[in-house]
Amino acid sequence: MELSITTTPSTRRWLNRYLLPVAALLLALTLPPRAQAREYLQLFVVQPYLELHTAPGRGYPVTQVVVRGESVDVLMRRTDWFKVRTERGIEGWANERDLAQTTLADGSPFQINLGDRDGFTSHRWESGIFGGAYEGATLISAYQALSLTDHLKVELSASQFLGNLSNGWLVDLGLSHVFMPEWRISPFVTLGGGYERVEPKATLALPVSSSNQTAYVGVGVRYYLARRLFLRGELRAHEIFTNQNANEVKNEWKVGIAFFY
Amino acid sequence: MESRHSVLLLSLVTLALSGCALFHRHAKPDDSAQASSDSDSNAPPPTVIEPQVERRTIKVPTIHPSNVEIGAYYGELSIQDFGAQPVYGVRLDYHISEDFFAEAIYGRAKAGFTSFETLSNIQIISDAERRFTYYNLSLGYNLLPGEVFIGRNLAMTSSFYVIGGIGSVKFAGDQNFAVNFGAGFRVLPTDWLAVHIDVQDLVFRSAVTGEEQLKNNLQATIGATVFF
Repeated sequence: MELSITTTPSTRRWLNRYLLPVAALLLALTLPPRAQAREYLQLFVVQPYLELHTAPGRGYPVTQVVVRGESVDVLMRRTDWFKVRTERGIEGWANERDLAQTTLADGSPFQINLGDRDGFTSHRWESGIFGGAYEGATLISAYQALSLTDHLKVELSASQFLGNLSNGWLVDLGLSHVFMPEWRISPFVTLGGGYERVEPKATLALPVSSSNQTAYVGVGVRYYLARRLFLRGELRAHEIFTNQNANEVKNEWKVGIAFFY
Repeated sequence: MESRHSVLLLSLVTLALSGCALFHRHAKPDDSAQASSDSDSNAPPPTVIEPQVERRTIKVPTIHPSNVEIGAYYGELSIQDFGAQPVYGVRLDYHISEDFFAEAIYGRAKAGFTSFETLSNIQIISDAERRFTYYNLSLGYNLLPGEVFIGRNLAMTSSFYVIGGIGSVKFAGDQNFAVNFGAGFRVLPTDWLAVHIDVQDLVFRSAVTGEEQLKNNLQATIGATVFF
């Protein structure tokens, strides 16, 4: 009560606008994840033994082993590590490479995407962060791609450009075709459309913001680094559909680091 | 000429034959069905008992992935020339592998006054322009993974990481490209909760205090995240 008496209207507004949502978010975040009765995947050890580490990392000590013929329940996965529970109720972390040598209940091998060259060739999702330039302005960009096939991907990218004369945003949705996804250096072409927002800086005589639809075509190359990481660079030419007599063409280049999963 | 006629005739015959096959295709099953039903009526009823059990579709349980961290942080940001001020923000991390993670951060603070403003009582930027907001897209590397021990019975996994990325800073009526780099320490009391301590430098070019120069803005924060 004292708080409401001593606060000014602007402070109260600030509290309502920012602090309450943040507090609610924090509260929601600090509650434990929803507990639910779920069935776990059961895997059988067929190698002489399966090592269990105390935590998800190669340096953490191995304190337990599961011998051949016994099974483990897979509780969860964190990056390259799986938290498992043995038949005796002991929990530990198994590496994906060790777990890839276990079998399912029907005897078939347990198959996982290991995050190697094969994963680079064939995966479902990829994301990345780029830096570059858009018509001379510095560009910051991020993208998310969904693989329809190993060759064909749907890509959504969002970029912000910061120039001397204007700032703005780009949002693009398109398709990209990777020619040789199994190659370490694999080229691709991309095609799509989007939306551009330009906000001229106030130093200009007539600062008028504009929003336009765009279409783009581009070429690029992906270079596999290691594990789940690869480099990606691309050039795009954007056709900006303005309400003036002629459309504009703006060029973009960007390079960055991306990962697949 | 003759050969042409023979080709024409042959093709007509082929067409006609295939046409007949078409008619028969529909007729045949009916005939055979009738025949089989005739034979079925004479045959004794089947003695094999068909089990009335529905076939169960076995669903292989999926593995719960827990690679995403979402949380918030609070700390102190030293805005060059404008004093150190409280800063808060939200963060989203994705753990790519045991070693690497990607991070997106959005934070905000409110700048104080430069020493010039304090001494002369002249404001060089308006109150609204004192709002300092930024976002970063970064890549982090878990340089020193390890464990921390509290007392005899409690061990928590931890990691000292280095991080760097790009983003932008909106301040003093302008938005600029920014580079961020720093290091942090992450401790996991449980598998789903992490506590972070971070120190980062946000560097951008600005002319707010006269000549354009690189502005270094150091921030130290403490935060909590939840794994999903």
